[in-house]
Amino acid sequence: MKIFLFFCIFMSLSAQEYAVVAKKGMQKVSANQIRALFLKKTSYIGDKKVVVLNLSAQESLRMSFEKKVLKMNFRHLKEYWIKQHYLGHRPPITLKSQESIIAFIKKVDGAIGYVELKKVDDELKILYRWVD
Amino acid sequence: MKLIVLFFLLFSFMHADDLLQEESSYELGEGVKIGSLPLYLGGYFSLDYQQQNDEKRYRLDDIALLAYGSYSKFSYLTELEYKEFYTYTQDSNSTMVEQDTHLHIERLFVDYNYNENYMLKLGKFNSQVGFWNLLPINVLRDTSSNPLSTEIIFPRFTTGVYGAYTSYDSGELKFDLTLQNNDDLDANYNNYTIDKHYALGLTYSQDFLELKLNVGVFDNYIVNNTLQELYYFLASLQYETQDYKIMAEVGTQKSDERFITPYAGYIQGLYNITPKHAAIIRLESYEDRMTRLEDSFAIFAWTYRPLYPVAWKVSYQVHSMKSANKFLFSWSVLF
Repeated sequence: MKIFLFFCIFMSLSAQEYAVVAKKGMQKVSANQIRALFLKKTSYIGDKKVVVLNLSAQESLRMSFEKKVLKMNFRHLKEYWIKQHYLGHRPPITLKSQESIIAFIKKVDGAIGYVELKKVDDELKILYRWVD
Repeated sequence: MKLIVLFFLLFSFMHADDLLQEESSYELGEGVKIGSLPLYLGGYFSLDYQQQNDEKRYRLDDIALLAYGSYSKFSYLTELEYKEFYTYTQDSNSTMVEQDTHLHIERLFVDYNYNENYMLKLGKFNSQVGFWNLLPINVLRDTSSNPLSTEIIFPRFTTGVYGAYTSYDSGELKFDLTLQNNDDLDANYNNYTIDKHYALGLTYSQDFLELKLNVGVFDNYIVNNTLQELYYFLASLQYETQDYKIMAEVGTQKSDERFITPYAGYIQGLYNITPKHAAIIRLESYEDRMTRLEDSFAIFAWTYRPLYPVAWKVSYQVHSMKSANKFLFSWSVLF
């Protein structure tokens, strides 16, 4: 029992919290809408045009986002974007770091990205959060 | 012949670019951006070999170029294609070479994305019916051949207007409407000669499951320019996980007087043995009173993808009409 409790505490301490964020003022969105936006099924929240931002493919945060939010693994997504190429759609813009994503969101109206929760400041609005 | 050489030179150039992807960021199967323009270029080709009875067929089938891009609420796509560009057929008595060097307009459309829920498409596009007709090229589909139900029930292409309403609130729910009341763009290229096509679609997907219903009516010009109005219905189901995929579709087609295709359907299972290898079994059955054919058959297929946009496929079809048994092998690439 003690070992189990220790394991649970250890896991909760090592778990990372992440968030999908936009500039303050962006309306609420559901997990399904976020999925649709990052898969480029739509580029709008309501009537507002949105620019979605990815981290580069090797980033562990991106892998967590794809697994937990998009519910797809790397291979599945690769296949998805190759099919989208035939349909005339492109994957989201990729930026190198969380800092660049935050800077982009603050500068460009309608930009959405994902970062570690601890990096979120007062100028950003949390649209969705997850733990991994 | 010059065109083939030019095409392969272009492909080789693009593939060489792929080897330098760290510098250029080009990846095979994802197209190339042209400067700072809202323009991406890509394409695909397919080579296949078929053996049926004592007849052997070697074919350079699709050679296609894609160009697309988006600006503000608009996006566009154009696709030009050589279909059955070079076919060499050999049987015990004769050999035959056929070439179709006519460059077809496969797709040509503009999309207007009004907001999160509404979009409109205008031009020539793949009829948005069932699953296979949305991605009807060899390299992207599971097997070298499409199921018969996706070939004989509805027009493969529509030249007109397509509108869709999609809700992403709980799962994904889409209603769509297709309207054509004019001649086809590149009419010889469609599986039916049509100048009218009205259709409705309903799609629901959640997690791994996707369900789809399509109904429609179209005018078909048959011999002596006689007009025939045909109604169709297609129900589709797909359940896809990272390891396996199950698909089933069943449809029917009728005229004012009688059923032309009382039924056409299939059920297919695909298992990803490794990320590069997939085994597929498909069972199909149909009755087509237009061609007076009734057949049930099984397809056993294997697909190897060293990279996803490169597909080596082999399949064997066992038909209730034994003369239709065939072996197929193909190599196709999307770039």
